[in-house]
Amino acid sequence: MRYRLGGVALLAILAWVLPYQLNSYTMHVVNVMLLYAILSVGLGLCMGVAGQINLAQVAFFGVGAYATAVLTVKEGWGFWAAAATAVLATAAVGLVVGTPALRVQSHYLGIVTLGLALAFTNWVTNSSLAGGAEGVAGIPRPALPGVDLSSDYLFYYLELVLFALTLAFGLFVVHTSLGRRMRAMRDDSLAAGAVGVEVPTLRMTAFLLASVYGGVAGVLYAGLIGYVAPETFSIANMFLLLAMVIIGGRQSLVGCVVGAIALALVREVLIDYPTYAQVAYGSVVVLTVVFAPTGLAGLPRRLHGVGARLGLRRAGADTAGALTTFQPYQPADPATGGPILEVRDLSMHFRGVKALRDVSIEVPAGQIRGIVGPNGSGKTTLFNVVSGLYRPTAGRVRLDGRDVTAARPFALAHAGIARTFQNLRLFPALTVRDNVLVALDPTRARSTWRYLLAPVGVWRRDRALRREADALLHRFGLTAFAGGLPTALPYGIQRRVEIARAMAARPRLLLLDEPAAGLNGDEVRQLCDIVRSIREHGVTVVVIEHNMGMVMSLCDHVTVLAHGAIIADGPPDVVAISPEVIEAYLGESMAMPAPVATEVQR
Amino acid sequence: MIGRVRRPLAACLLAIGVVLAAACSPPGDEQAGGGESTGPIKIAIANAQSGQLSSLGAWELKGAKLAFDEWNQKGGVNGRKVEIGVFDDQGDPTVGTNVARKIASEGYVAMIGTAESAVTIAMAPILQQAAIPNITSGQSPGLIAVKSPFLFLNGPTSLTYDETLAKYLVEQRGIKTIALITNNGSYGKGEHDSFTKALQSRGLTPVADQVVTTDQKDFSAALTNIRQKKPQLIFLGAEEVQSGLIVKQARDLGITVPFAGAAPQGTPVFLDTAGAANVEGTIVSTPYLSNDVSEASKTFAAAYKTATGEEAELHGAKAYDGAQILLTALKNSNGATGKDLADAIRAVKHKGLLGDFAYDETGVGIFATSIGTITSGKLVPAAG
Amino acid sequence: MQVFLQTFIGGMSLGAIYALVALGFSLVYRTMGLVNFAHGSVVMIGAYIASTFYLSVKLPFAAAMAVAIAVTGLIGIIIERVLRPLENKDFDLMLIGTIGFGIVLEALAIVIWGATGRAVRSPVPAAPLDLGGIRIRTYDLLVLAIAATATVLLVFFLQRTKRGAAMQAVAMDHQAATAVGIHVGRSNAMAFMIGAGLAALAGGLVGPLLYVSPAMGGSLGIKGFAGAILGGFGSIPGAIVGGLGIGIIDSFAAGQFQGYSELVTFLIFTVIIMIRPTGIFGERTVNRA
Repeated sequence: MRYRLGGVALLAILAWVLPYQLNSYTMHVVNVMLLYAILSVGLGLCMGVAGQINLAQVAFFGVGAYATAVLTVKEGWGFWAAAATAVLATAAVGLVVGTPALRVQSHYLGIVTLGLALAFTNWVTNSSLAGGAEGVAGIPRPALPGVDLSSDYLFYYLELVLFALTLAFGLFVVHTSLGRRMRAMRDDSLAAGAVGVEVPTLRMTAFLLASVYGGVAGVLYAGLIGYVAPETFSIANMFLLLAMVIIGGRQSLVGCVVGAIALALVREVLIDYPTYAQVAYGSVVVLTVVFAPTGLAGLPRRLHGVGARLGLRRAGADTAGALTTFQPYQPADPATGGPILEVRDLSMHFRGVKALRDVSIEVPAGQIRGIVGPNGSGKTTLFNVVSGLYRPTAGRVRLDGRDVTAARPFALAHAGIARTFQNLRLFPALTVRDNVLVALDPTRARSTWRYLLAPVGVWRRDRALRREADALLHRFGLTAFAGGLPTALPYGIQRRVEIARAMAARPRLLLLDEPAAGLNGDEVRQLCDIVRSIREHGVTVVVIEHNMGMVMSLCDHVTVLAHGAIIADGPPDVVAISPEVIEAYLGESMAMPAPVATEVQR
Repeated sequence: MIGRVRRPLAACLLAIGVVLAAACSPPGDEQAGGGESTGPIKIAIANAQSGQLSSLGAWELKGAKLAFDEWNQKGGVNGRKVEIGVFDDQGDPTVGTNVARKIASEGYVAMIGTAESAVTIAMAPILQQAAIPNITSGQSPGLIAVKSPFLFLNGPTSLTYDETLAKYLVEQRGIKTIALITNNGSYGKGEHDSFTKALQSRGLTPVADQVVTTDQKDFSAALTNIRQKKPQLIFLGAEEVQSGLIVKQARDLGITVPFAGAAPQGTPVFLDTAGAANVEGTIVSTPYLSNDVSEASKTFAAAYKTATGEEAELHGAKAYDGAQILLTALKNSNGATGKDLADAIRAVKHKGLLGDFAYDETGVGIFATSIGTITSGKLVPAAG
Repeated sequence: MQVFLQTFIGGMSLGAIYALVALGFSLVYRTMGLVNFAHGSVVMIGAYIASTFYLSVKLPFAAAMAVAIAVTGLIGIIIERVLRPLENKDFDLMLIGTIGFGIVLEALAIVIWGATGRAVRSPVPAAPLDLGGIRIRTYDLLVLAIAATATVLLVFFLQRTKRGAAMQAVAMDHQAATAVGIHVGRSNAMAFMIGAGLAALAGGLVGPLLYVSPAMGGSLGIKGFAGAILGGFGSIPGAIVGGLGIGIIDSFAAGQFQGYSELVTFLIFTVIIMIRPTGIFGERTVNRA
């Protein structure tokens, strides 16, 4: 921490005295470089942190620059009023460009945003308002009382301050609630929705952030160059920007900055050989993605890894500690009242395949309900409908008497449903603590304004959440792994992390999809203890399981599905001897009850 | 935590304070060197040397370089050699602003180029601030709108090209129904506006007015619209390659009427792209019809061929004229710089390849073009 | 009406080219899950090779095309080899990696052939057909015929030959295909080679239609990719319909909105994708939870 602060201070001093060492041309180059750095941070937030492909960043840049140009030159506004309006306009455009992200992702989003960026350059090339192909000239340099910004040297300080502010804000976002939820969404949008992350709003927020950064850079560009023309906002420059972010390392904002500066420098050095510069940076991009997908920002860790392998560093620092025992919850009053989950005549068809047929289930509060059935009998489909991933073909789902059919996953999570996944869906690039924090975090997207108006409050809240998360991890015996990545952990521990994450959302109904798959006998026993304690705590549990021994001992009531329909329902000992059930299982040539887990799902 | 943070933070603040105190004077006070009255005279040639417009840049460079070499062989400007620096603006205005700053900071006294009006307009304010005269090959009326006393054109503006063309077409040939197809780039837009204005002053409006984008390559929709209107002639406002493609596709669509246009339509690239048979009869308004209209142009073309191994054409000739004017002004003013050099350029009366130059307040030195037609694959002066 | 039909025909001939480009995108994507943004640049390289052999070496057009397809197929194998680590990976990396490749190819083309480009004369000298005032270039008909033949051959290959069936299997399930003894790497290289060959075909055909320049890859690639997405990414009939669709939208937008055509085309495209994200022939992929 202290080294880092010292490093920042040193960098700040270097940045402060830099202009004294440069001639006026180099100063100009550095000014342009800073603009690219701001743009890269915005793109990094959108693509690297939130996982939203955004090939319209250069258009955001353009909107900011053009709005400033048109307002100052054609409308005669003052620079700062124009600048503020331009950033707002860019934010509005960002929301429009982001709208497709609500419907499409990945390469679809890529081509749509690219198309919209092309549409923007096409519009400014034609519009007489935007000056057509000749652009808008004569944008005034901004003025500050007492500072002569018409000098490139002093303009540098304006840029530097804004750059530092935007970078700091970006880092603040990444390391607190908003960024954590965005990273969770990037890693696994399905699981993020299931723990209550408002995925649609956050996607829009990502585009909003990217566009504001683009707008700020655009305003500075207009002030610095004094001229705007369509070519500056071309697709080639978009790809350059993308290369900066990828080479730098998209998941680290500092990496994005380093990438921007490095590539801008290379381009400047090779300015007289643009074709060879193109070959060079194209090759670097290919080499980076093939050999160092984490970019420059990932290098220290990779070197560290190599060092550890060579025995240069003492090993074992990362693997210290072990799983400790689960500490049971305080028992709460047994839940009473009507059924907490009520499924009525539910059907789910996939293009002719009837995965569920008229399924009705009622789970009273405080029960541990087992759902069993052969593979492909529709168990997971049932969970997916209940947790909002699928919209059912017919039928209703009620939670505590409230109709929640086809509600969004995050809304269901807020209403008190939590779940785990058959194939484990932890957020692979988030630490175990962050995995839990995402679910623990009650922050709603609508309170994102706090980041602007009450950042200190956001910071405090985050620290309180961290303490809460540590307490939860301690309860689940996971403290030793809090700072590590889940993917590096043994399978059994990952399973436990997922249950801890589900419980972090403080659910009333917990859906466990094959929680014992891949666990050994001892781990299964611990799991049973955990589930019982969760129930004692007042949470209703529905569990899909193949391990019949566990189902028999754990569940109060068992529902058996086959071919998408219920074939038996009742206490475990009654269901186990039902002829339909035996037939269904024998049809799969599978003896029951099996003493241990029979299959490992990967 | 807070306590641990405080000390480095304080150190940091202190350090910044020290630096601030040490650096009371703002940076960047040093003056760019330049305008020494001995040693070589540094002149910049800025153009697109890469990218799609680089052929234009290459022609310009060859023409200008020829003029500088000739002067240097004769002993330079009043005994001082001329040193040229070549800069690549990649046809991009932003790169252009960078280049302008580089030229200003490295002590160049004047600049030749660019051929792209949009790039020149972007560079103009910086060159004006640094008091560096600039002789451009652009022809857009937008260049005059910049109102920089340091900006000069080495040829006529689009207004002259199109006024001469419209006069010939309407008054001499009696053509009344004219269709327009122009692109939305800076050249195409300038042509569109200038030609429409020239027609309007004769009481005509175009029967069709089609605008295409600069990177469009398929024109069937625009040309079909034009065909519907049955014009007697189609005016082309696009660069060489695109014009060639338009003509080629128009002939495929069964449009047989002649085309007319300005400088690009007189170039070999246009002819090659469209195919020689397709451009037969194209009417061109240009200040430089061919290499053998005068003794001067013959000499120039021969020298150009010797130096580069290629046939000379309009853009090289324009740049050659521009360089000659600059060098004459340097000679007349005995190596002046800044405003004095700009005034000297304005005072130059030059008999060039394009005609007789005499600059006015707007920085335009020549106001005439000639009309030619493409006959059997060659541009020849129009009859009448 | 005449304008309508003429515009439609213009859109069809360019659309056929987009369809071939889209086909290459889709084939590579369905087989190995790679979105190859260098595809547009491969088209450009194919166009240059075809035009070089046609114009400079003076080979017959068909022979020049064959050479282009062979050379480009080889380039395809090289690209596949380099990018293999990216297959089925994170889309961001694929995107930027293949874009990087495209940038290198474009720069190499500038180094080899110069930045300005060249016009290619039509190999079919016959005059355009005139049907009641609607002119149809004979070359357009040739382009449509070749595009149709290529599609039929491709479908035949995929469905009736052993190699093709193996590729289909890999497209459906990587692991299962490996399990039944299909060499996935070879199958992928094959897909890339065919994709690159299709790119050369598109590039070679587009030369006489338009113009060959280093920058042509960008717009052909973007429009072709849009076509593939519009039709349903990974679907063979989708690529054809989507490519033709983009060509026709483009042509009408150019007729109606002139300079604003690009803006209109991409707005229409965005709206269609918003309404039907999976494209015309696309299948809704089920998220396995």
